[in-house]
Amino acid sequence: MNMKTLATIIVFSTLGIAFSAQAHEPKEHMKDAEKPDCTAMKNMDHSKMDMNDPVMQAMMQQCMKDMHQDNQASENANQEDGVQKEHTANDESIEHKH
Amino acid sequence: MAAFKFLTCGKCLLIAAAISIIGGLAFLYSGLYPIGADVPHNRLTYWLLETLRERSVARAASDIKVPSDLNAPERLLAGGADYNDMCAGCHLKPGKTESDFTLGLYPTPPNLTLAGDEHGHDHTGNTENDDEASKRQFWIVKHGIKASGMPAWGPGHDDERIWNMVAFLKRLPELSPDQYQILTARGQDSEGHGH
Repeated sequence: MNMKTLATIIVFSTLGIAFSAQAHEPKEHMKDAEKPDCTAMKNMDHSKMDMNDPVMQAMMQQCMKDMHQDNQASENANQEDGVQKEHTANDESIEHKH
Repeated sequence: MAAFKFLTCGKCLLIAAAISIIGGLAFLYSGLYPIGADVPHNRLTYWLLETLRERSVARAASDIKVPSDLNAPERLLAGGADYNDMCAGCHLKPGKTESDFTLGLYPTPPNLTLAGDEHGHDHTGNTENDDEASKRQFWIVKHGIKASGMPAWGPGHDDERIWNMVAFLKRLPELSPDQYQILTARGQDSEGHGH
């Protein structure tokens, strides 16, 4: 076995060990990570939640973005509904004037 | 006369010890002991190994200091994600009662979704017992247990990350499948929950 082959084997085995050591870095798990399913959280009775419970606080942290986005979406939908109703009312009043 | 008796007795003991050692070695090399994971140990071997394990862990974990912020929600999120990736296959998650690992490993990995007394360790209740349980869990996660299938996570994970897992383990028996899914999902932010 010449020096070149030996060096190649050592380099590849070192790289193998180094990559396997990184396998448990949190970022490594992000590739196939699933998102929190916050629908259950939305359906919960918020008045019965204990906000001092760390589990509840952790769930709120996880679902904060999700719930915020939902609130914004519903607000936007409401606003669009309002604009549409306004348009319809305006159209009707224009038609009445004619 | 007494000295002669003592010598005879000493000789008897030596002979008995020699026979035991030779007999033990003969048994060891005969290959007669069933080592397959699908054949349980006999009661004596099981008791010996269990006592050895419990005493060793209790002694080694006695000096560990438990962090005061073990209940922090950030720890639950970080530890939950790691538990799901590294432990749930063997130690299960809410709504699951078995996996290929729980069926095949011997000794069977404890189902950590059950309270301590339900999986064989009476560590629920007062704070002192709770602390002892946390120390024990930290030590086992960090160092693993020989010939049990439990690896040592210490070489690849720092103490903080292991304490996060311990924090999650404390609350795991109370979690519903929905809560578990929310707490263990890494996908919300780009950095994950690792520190």
